[in-house]
Amino acid sequence: MKSHDVLIVGGGLAGLMAALNASSGADVAVLSKIYPTRSHSGAAQGGFNAVLHDDDSIEAHVFDTVKGSDYLGDQDAIEVLCSDGPQVIYELEKMGVLWTRAPNGAIAQRPLGGAGFPRACFAADFSGHVVLHTLYEQILKRGVKVYSEWHLLELIVDEGRVAGAVVYDLATARVEIIRTKQIVLATGGYGRAFAKTTNAHANTGDGMAIAYRAGAVLSDMEFVQFHPTTLYGTNILISEAARGEGGYLRNAGGERFMADYAPAKMELAPRDVVARAIFKEIKAGRGLEGHYVHLDLTHLGETLVADRLPQVRDLAIRYAGVDPVAAPMPIEPAQHYSMGGVRTDTSGVSTLPGLLAAGEVSNVSVHGANRLGGNSLLETVVFGRRAGKKAAELARKTSFSGFSMETAKRLLEPWNTLLSVLPATGPRDDSAFAVRREMATLMTNQVGVFRTGAELESAVTALGLLKERYSTLPRPGGAHPFNYALMDYLELGYLLDLCEIIARGALARTESRGAHFRLDYPKRDDINWLRHTFACRGEGGPEFSGGAVAITSHKPQQRGY
Amino acid sequence: MDVALKICRFDPETDTCARMQEFAVSLAENRTVLDALLLAWEQDPTLSFRRSCRSAICGSCAILINGQPALACQTLIRKATATGGPLTLEPLPHFRQLKDLVVDLEPLFESLKAAVPWLLLDDRYNGRMTPEAVCKIENPATCILCGICQADLGQAEIKPAGVVKALRFALDPRDTLGKHRLRLLQLPPEVLRLFVAQLPRNCPKGIDISSAPL
Repeated sequence: MKSHDVLIVGGGLAGLMAALNASSGADVAVLSKIYPTRSHSGAAQGGFNAVLHDDDSIEAHVFDTVKGSDYLGDQDAIEVLCSDGPQVIYELEKMGVLWTRAPNGAIAQRPLGGAGFPRACFAADFSGHVVLHTLYEQILKRGVKVYSEWHLLELIVDEGRVAGAVVYDLATARVEIIRTKQIVLATGGYGRAFAKTTNAHANTGDGMAIAYRAGAVLSDMEFVQFHPTTLYGTNILISEAARGEGGYLRNAGGERFMADYAPAKMELAPRDVVARAIFKEIKAGRGLEGHYVHLDLTHLGETLVADRLPQVRDLAIRYAGVDPVAAPMPIEPAQHYSMGGVRTDTSGVSTLPGLLAAGEVSNVSVHGANRLGGNSLLETVVFGRRAGKKAAELARKTSFSGFSMETAKRLLEPWNTLLSVLPATGPRDDSAFAVRREMATLMTNQVGVFRTGAELESAVTALGLLKERYSTLPRPGGAHPFNYALMDYLELGYLLDLCEIIARGALARTESRGAHFRLDYPKRDDINWLRHTFACRGEGGPEFSGGAVAITSHKPQQRGY
Repeated sequence: MDVALKICRFDPETDTCARMQEFAVSLAENRTVLDALLLAWEQDPTLSFRRSCRSAICGSCAILINGQPALACQTLIRKATATGGPLTLEPLPHFRQLKDLVVDLEPLFESLKAAVPWLLLDDRYNGRMTPEAVCKIENPATCILCGICQADLGQAEIKPAGVVKALRFALDPRDTLGKHRLRLLQLPPEVLRLFVAQLPRNCPKGIDISSAPL
């Protein structure tokens, strides 16, 4: 049986940062369902927020983040995020990250939404890619063991703590057990729960769902971020950096409509505000062809677009047939990010002993009800680093659990049974593809930017029916190499679990806060709802409870931009 | 539009050699070859191919499209079918086929290691870099390790991913080795020059280091 002191699941920014920081004090391995450099962190474009300038301050970054979170973020965690930021940026620089530079040679910074200062460090509009590849280089330098194209299937809980994982090697179609002292989840989000999403095919919420099934608490799952600017039709991300560099949003009449919604911040209001504004314009009949609005960069000039937004330009030319230097881009909002996730403390420690989490899979909570652009990349490296150090420290104090070979055999049995099922052949009435499509359409249409009690209730019912259908689907087993149908089937199960928690959480929360907007409860309600939503697995589905929000220095105020 | 696909199938457990399977799918002409593959997959869920980001940044979906190595997610259907005839999709050449369109990437990732693929920070680095210096490295730093250049060249003596990485660090003023990295590659200069000249031909990220001092 394989064993590692610390197993990091996920090879994106949070996972690799955790692996690097754990590797000096423990035997560490990274397990990732795709090659680490393929992780969706690499698609992040805009930047990493950090206070580097004398005219900026940690306090200002904290305040912007707290206000951006609509006061649901835990202020003690936000203080950690913002205070650790500058040091991590310089650490990354020394690893080789190619930060874009100001004329004086210092790290350049650009404004992103909801920030009172231009504080996002960036590498053109390849910020995530450049840091991901740099961290991968560091993993190679340290000789950290990487299991690429291995899936986590199940967390093994023995005597109340996580003692290992059941894992699956896609290439050999073998199920194995890895014995661990500590596991760090860094598996990212669940964007594929939505039909319209910027997320990669890999983003199916595996870690969140598997942690939930093992008994960990998920928090604030009803808070789902919709990115305002994705290419109309394909939902390919057009970075907030496009607005940070001076891009305008225009309706069919050519008006910069943000003046009506956020006169002070305009296009650089937080994402929840901008996404709602776009939909309101479209609903009021001021969208183009009734479906989208324009993101206009034509006044910025070719040099700036080529230097600062080369990827945005390529993407728009290729996927929308529009060169943003010459014409405005058609854009619509789409699911982008999960504020909720596995509840952790500021060291990444979850409610389940032996399990840590960092990055989008986690909920520390630094984003509260709405995340600011530039804060998620920062979160991955700050909390990936902290979780890695903590996991190594905890591993030194832990010994491997003594679960027996018998137990291991019993754990493997259902998975081996699944693998021995021969895939059904011939035409079928129902398929995982059909269930997944219906689920994703339902989530986009009924659990999206604007929500109502009636629609959420019908969504919960429909999701229940989809879960029933899922349980009767033929299982695409067979121990074949690269059996993606089997992975797709398992991923759909994860997504259905998470959708139920998201929809039920949204139905219960009878207020509007950040990205969660209820048309039937359009006001924030601090008296009843200034609290986290905790979800944990019960007999008949998720059981919900409330958790206190850490408020240190900023009392909730009216949030306007 | 209706598109006829011919996709290379190979299952190491049942097949002795690869065969082509035909599919018919229907999709808008501004969709991509990856979208066509996803539709084919729904018709036959045993089809295996890698994919993730769908926006040409993860490098997963590099395959042979009508005989040319390319990213499926970056190739529009309109363009791929412009010459008429069925759209032929095969695994990258010069890699071992593991199943259908999935090839063995271990040699590609392993080949990086020989290039000492990390920054060896020069003690004299003072935290400043000119925008011009950064600009020069940005282009090779966009390498997504997709393997297309390796499939295109097929020269055993060149490990392209490592070469691009080495050139990226050779251009970095923070690196202790700097230009000496080129010698570490142990490649005859003419071989290196030829590689650099041919690289832009198929690189999906447009990496062009032909002006770098070699």
